Amino acid sequence: MFSDILFLSSSSLIIASCVLMMWTKNLMHSCVYLLGVLIGIAGLYLTLGADFVAATQVMVYVGGVVILMLFAVMLTGGKDFQSRSQKILGLLPLMGSKYTFMWGSATAMVFGFCQIYFFRHLFFELKVQETTSNQYAPTIEKIGELLITDHVVAFEISSVLLLGALVGAAIIARPRKERPAFLEPDHHDDHGEDHH
Amino acid sequence: MSNQSLNAFMPIIIMMGLALGLYGAALLVAHLLSPSKPGGKKDMPYECGEEPVGSAWSMFNVRFYVVGLIFIIFDVESVLMFPVATIFRKMNAMGEGTYILIIFLSFISVLLEGIAYCWKKGDLDWVKSYKRSADS
Amino acid sequence: MENTIAGYFLKFEPLKYLVTNSSAWLGFDTTVLIGFIIFLTFGIVFLGFLATVGGFGTIAERKISADLQARIGPNRVGPYGAFQLIADGIKMLSKEDIMPRDADKFLYYLAPFLSLFGVVCTIAVVPFSENFIMADLNVGVFYALAISSLVGVGIFLGGYASNSKWSLLGGMRGASQIISYEIPVTLCIMMIVLLAGGLSFGAIIDEQAGMPWNWYIFHNPFTFIGFFIFFVSALAETNRAPFDLPEAESELVSGYHTEYTGIRFGLFALAEYIEIFVVNGVAVSLFLGGYHLPFSFLEGTIPGNLLQFGTFFIKTCVLYYVVIWIRWTFPRLRVDQLMSICWKYLTPIAIFNLVGVAIWIVCFDGQSMFNLLFTGASHSGGGH
Repeated sequence: MFSDILFLSSSSLIIASCVLMMWTKNLMHSCVYLLGVLIGIAGLYLTLGADFVAATQVMVYVGGVVILMLFAVMLTGGKDFQSRSQKILGLLPLMGSKYTFMWGSATAMVFGFCQIYFFRHLFFELKVQETTSNQYAPTIEKIGELLITDHVVAFEISSVLLLGALVGAAIIARPRKERPAFLEPDHHDDHGEDHH
Repeated sequence: MSNQSLNAFMPIIIMMGLALGLYGAALLVAHLLSPSKPGGKKDMPYECGEEPVGSAWSMFNVRFYVVGLIFIIFDVESVLMFPVATIFRKMNAMGEGTYILIIFLSFISVLLEGIAYCWKKGDLDWVKSYKRSADS
Repeated sequence: MENTIAGYFLKFEPLKYLVTNSSAWLGFDTTVLIGFIIFLTFGIVFLGFLATVGGFGTIAERKISADLQARIGPNRVGPYGAFQLIADGIKMLSKEDIMPRDADKFLYYLAPFLSLFGVVCTIAVVPFSENFIMADLNVGVFYALAISSLVGVGIFLGGYASNSKWSLLGGMRGASQIISYEIPVTLCIMMIVLLAGGLSFGAIIDEQAGMPWNWYIFHNPFTFIGFFIFFVSALAETNRAPFDLPEAESELVSGYHTEYTGIRFGLFALAEYIEIFVVNGVAVSLFLGGYHLPFSFLEGTIPGNLLQFGTFFIKTCVLYYVVIWIRWTFPRLRVDQLMSICWKYLTPIAIFNLVGVAIWIVCFDGQSMFNLLFTGASHSGGGH
């Protein structure tokens, strides 16, 4: 009973947030609706009994990725975050130019057809499978054991992958070295940078 | 750790609903009790008495974004370490202590190199002096 | 649901009677439904209790700061100014709700709700006593850590939606401060998880049962340092002085909540005070033995539970006093000092502690310092 309630509320939150995310013309609002989608996905993980993965989803995505996206939007901020509306596209509730609209619709149609094709059997089986029991074994110990025994190489390589991501991001975000000569600062101005 | 049914998460949904209810009730009571006379000088954002010039949304320094990136990497790293930390004592009691210690330490050391690199190259400094950024 | 508050109360006769009768009447097993009603009741009770504690926190802050500054503080409303929180609450409810011109309406309404949401959802896992815990999740500590990062999003959106340069700056600084200090907090929690072997609050606290030298803070020197690292980082996460640059009164007027008036500002402030209490509660549960008394007295009964709850409350209030004390003693940190403290001092020390605890567990088989000393002493005593 409770798992049904959880599933229905999580999926309705996801669908509503997705629709709103596409519908709005404001970029910041889209980021906030993405927050709703990610929390809904965490709820869906809970219905499967994966409590550790649900908490990880909230911690990494909600606590990190959404804040990072908000920072990125602020970083490239200009005068307005609203999209420039053209005559016909201004009537449609979506952001973007005609090219994004074309490519977006084409991708959505292809993706939709693929999904319907792969899950076509589900449309004929209308009986819902009963979940056997409501008890879920603790997942985190099993994940730990698998990480140590079966997937230890992947575990160690993931640390190297994270190191690569860190170094790459640091390099990309660093200010560029070459500057025009007339912008070269005086060398007694070492601590003249402002505290922002 | 014992098996846990999904009903254990019921209080969390209840508290989420209570948070929504508290916010709604507070707004409702404030709407009933407080006056509402918009307009005039009250609506302007406060800037110590001056008139605000220009939009508030200007471009920001990249240091906020760098801090966010470094945080994400360490967040994912600590999330990956949590399952290993949970079974550490169990493995130690089974006699595999050295093995799991080596795995744990090698994972941490790779990320320590990352933070050392960022430290040395000045990405952790909030204020980058021109000399530093000219050297990098 | 067995070791939570609903399971505890369902063991009593009147409620068992109610369950069997309503099951016969309604046709299905109503244990879950009655459990839901019990959870709802106690959710409201705990939320009200914590809101009151938050309100008394404001009074405590003003009185303690007055004491530190050799003045008296509010003493007109009620005995020793104890009802000041009611006066403040009525004042905030009756203030006009001003939204700045050109502010983002949706985000302006959403930001205090996100902060409140993030804090209220962590109340569900705080272990008040052995049976008075609402949800003893298997991932309890991790869940509390994850949900409290919603407060950072709320702060950022509050700063952004106000359409004021000061608020935006305060909001961005606040968000970057909160996410930075989450790393030492997570690493210190991982240290305790290494020792306890589990993420649930009940398991961690049960390992610390008994005399005060069983507490994790006295387990080995690394956890001792780790407690202070955790305390300082948690202080920074709740935007509390000396880390309160996002709401710095002398620099940014009031930072991210400058443009908020009335009850919405009250909810921001309430969320902050409740968060301080919850974070102190987590620190007490992880390091200072939670709700355990040195002796087990009337275990399992309601007076025993209330006694444990009182212990937990007293320990948390001691930490609360220390938090207020720190605020009015230290000067505020500059923003680059703040960031460099986190990344260059606290994170390396936390990693060092983590490595130290891991090596301690492997070398000494996870025994605490006192265990080693006592068993070493008894061995040498018995050898004579």
